Amino acid sequence: MAKDIKDLGWNELIPGAALFSFSEPVEDVTEVAIDERPYSPTNSHEYSVGDWRVEKPVFNRDYCIDCQFCWVFCPDISIISRDKKMIGVDYEHCKGCGICVEVCPTNPKSLLMFPEHLENEEALAKWPAKEAKK
Amino acid sequence: MAKKYELNEIEVWDGNTAVSHALRQARIDVVAAYPITPSTPIVQNYSKFLADGYIDGEFIMVESEHSAMSGCVAAGAAGARTATATSSQGFALMVEVLYQASGMRIPVVLTVADRALAAPLNVNGDHSDMYLGRDAGWINLCAYNPQEAYDLTLMAFKIAEDLDVRLPAMVHQDGFICSHTAQNVRPLSDAEAAKFVGEYKPVNSMLDISNPVTHGVQTEEDWHFEHKARQHNDLMNSKNVIKRVFDEFKTLTNREYNLVDNYKLEDADIAIVAIGTTVESARIAADKLRDEGIKAGVLGIRVLRPFPFEEIVNALSNVKAIATMDRSAPGGTFGMLFNEISGAMIGSGKSPIILNYIYGLGGRDTTIEQLIEIYRQLDDCARSNQRKYPLQQFIGLRGPKLSFF
Amino acid sequence: MTKKIRNLKELSLSNDRYEGANLMCPGCAHNIIVREVLNATDDPVVVANATGCLEVCTAVYPKTSWDTSWIHIGFENAAVAIAAVQTTYETLKKQGRLPKAAQKLADEGRDIKFVAFGGDGGTYDIGFQSLSGAFERGHNFMYVCLDNEVYANTGGQRSSSTPIGASTTTSPAGAVSYGEKMMKKSIVEIMADHGAPYVAQVSPSKWKDMIKKVQKGYEAKGPVFINAMSACTTEWRFASEDTIAVSDLGVDSCMWPLYEIINERDEHGIIYRTKLNITYRPKNKIPVEEYLAAQPRFKHLFKPENRHIIDLLQKAVDIRWENLQRREEAGV
Repeated sequence: MAKDIKDLGWNELIPGAALFSFSEPVEDVTEVAIDERPYSPTNSHEYSVGDWRVEKPVFNRDYCIDCQFCWVFCPDISIISRDKKMIGVDYEHCKGCGICVEVCPTNPKSLLMFPEHLENEEALAKWPAKEAKK
Repeated sequence: MAKKYELNEIEVWDGNTAVSHALRQARIDVVAAYPITPSTPIVQNYSKFLADGYIDGEFIMVESEHSAMSGCVAAGAAGARTATATSSQGFALMVEVLYQASGMRIPVVLTVADRALAAPLNVNGDHSDMYLGRDAGWINLCAYNPQEAYDLTLMAFKIAEDLDVRLPAMVHQDGFICSHTAQNVRPLSDAEAAKFVGEYKPVNSMLDISNPVTHGVQTEEDWHFEHKARQHNDLMNSKNVIKRVFDEFKTLTNREYNLVDNYKLEDADIAIVAIGTTVESARIAADKLRDEGIKAGVLGIRVLRPFPFEEIVNALSNVKAIATMDRSAPGGTFGMLFNEISGAMIGSGKSPIILNYIYGLGGRDTTIEQLIEIYRQLDDCARSNQRKYPLQQFIGLRGPKLSFF
Repeated sequence: MTKKIRNLKELSLSNDRYEGANLMCPGCAHNIIVREVLNATDDPVVVANATGCLEVCTAVYPKTSWDTSWIHIGFENAAVAIAAVQTTYETLKKQGRLPKAAQKLADEGRDIKFVAFGGDGGTYDIGFQSLSGAFERGHNFMYVCLDNEVYANTGGQRSSSTPIGASTTTSPAGAVSYGEKMMKKSIVEIMADHGAPYVAQVSPSKWKDMIKKVQKGYEAKGPVFINAMSACTTEWRFASEDTIAVSDLGVDSCMWPLYEIINERDEHGIIYRTKLNITYRPKNKIPVEEYLAAQPRFKHLFKPENRHIIDLLQKAVDIRWENLQRREEAGV
């Protein structure tokens, strides 16, 4: 689509307001990773909901055991996992709910919430030590 | 593969039988329906055709008319040709989904045997259901007899599914008086009908899994208006496709259809405007007046939506007095035809005398004598160039005369 | 084709067909449920959605958050919508008119799966007629109820799924009211009594149990009902990071027992055996009070004058839990 959707007049709209996920056919979507799909301009993928956050989850590879709890319980598909390995957080789609931190089983946690404005390097430098068993 | 149904050149069919054969011949993929008087035989006949092997598609015997129309919309979104039938309360239950069908641009065909709306409960014919759905964004085609109900049902698929239209279409016939009255009908053969209607061309099918599509979105103040404008525009322009399909049908069958059905209007001084079987009665009444030298004519609405503004104005441009006949309780104002015909005439700079008659509610018979009396009132007005009668009168009603304005 | 998912690492290889850029609240369990349902299979899935949070937050023009075909018509018709889409699939397949990609996967034994999502409003209440009709007719689809026990989309009004004692905007707690007066409707048993081959109650927090049940649902022939606990951070008023913890409290207190009902049917559809299996037994069945305390919607119950409702809820939970165990033992 040459024109931005926002600039379209009534006469240029798709009848019935149908929206399309992709701009070209994808034979089997389960074989194409998110981010690698030919998203159409009417797919929300390019939208960011990152500005909903006041705190962000920061990932610390050093303690992660790749259990994938954060991946399965993330409501917003914002835990990036490839080949069974936890890679990081998709800050465009993370709304900052904090579930990933709560479900993280390691000690210390491999994911922690930090203020949105803090650089990740700073956050990692402040990482707490292992908590003693109560 | 469905069996071929052997048909005679002339069949004696009532309106429901005629419509059910048209549905069978249209080779519908999914019918979702719920029976209701007086359209029940359409649903029953279709079930029997299916049971006897005359239908390839599926029939979902849903639990309500709401689900009937919902099923049609969803099947249409999945790439199926779909249709259903209803009347009255069933139509009323469908109304929510009628708007969804047209807004989602799913070309469902709905055949309606028009019937009164409760309360009080009534199973007989009037146009209350038709009027209830008139703003739903559907194409509305109106039949006056079983042959027309058959013809218009076949044509409805071709019109609704046209890629320039993609809007749902209703085919109306009067409950009982048309739906249950057997007359001679000349059907097409199964092959001719199938060829005329054509293969269904799915648009944005949900089952095309390589191109996932989202149907039934939400649009708020920033988009809703544009989508409704587009929908209205396409409905208004569907007139051209309707005319083209009417022409193609005439070439095939020699049966002619027009947006409005004019009867002796060329030189008419007075005219009745009506929908449904009353159009045929009015023609008989008009002839009787013509025998007396009074130039009477009839305008039958064939296509209620899109509203045939130019055709109505052209047909009535020299008429001095017009009776608009509304077979639906007007609910606190004039009847719909009065408002729309008046608007059309004023909008084109004409000012004939226009009267509104409310008639035939709940299947009350309307006689030739009553129609003649209406013509006499019109003649009186036309000759004196004065409106000598109330703007709105109820006719055929027991008790004191009821009129307004 | 059943997808092999032996552990969470294997499940994590799934490529989601749902986009994170949606308007659901942070911490919403609906999204976790949708992901688990879609990721439980690699077969194509087509979705119908009742009006509700999930619908209004994922298809706001001009953007869709679905990477698979999806339809919404109204509040009360998701069941018939998916049934009609599935019927279309059947007839087009029989007539050899399926779109190419769908035909190709069907030839590989990967028929499209048909799923409907509805909230408890669209399922227990306004959509119940359409749901019941579709189950009676036996269409081949899976209906997933996203049960957050409230009309969340319209601002937290009570539904017939709201538990007794919950404060909602139409059953508010007040000086002379302890909140909702009715007991929650037993939707799982009602749907099982339609003769459905498979009906189950799940919690997204118990992902393995849930995936297993969803997969059984995909394999079943006929209508399948899955009642999914959807802890609602907005209307239950807990912090967004606590969704999983609150869900677990529901399961561990047996307020939300995890079980399945299987109607075994012969080739004529006659049910010759009904089995009820409890699929998760808490090691320590915690008091209902702990579950209630985690959710401010029940805060007022801890006032002395309302404590009897906590006792009542505990009693109701205990009786139900016992009944479930008795049914399981008796194999009925």
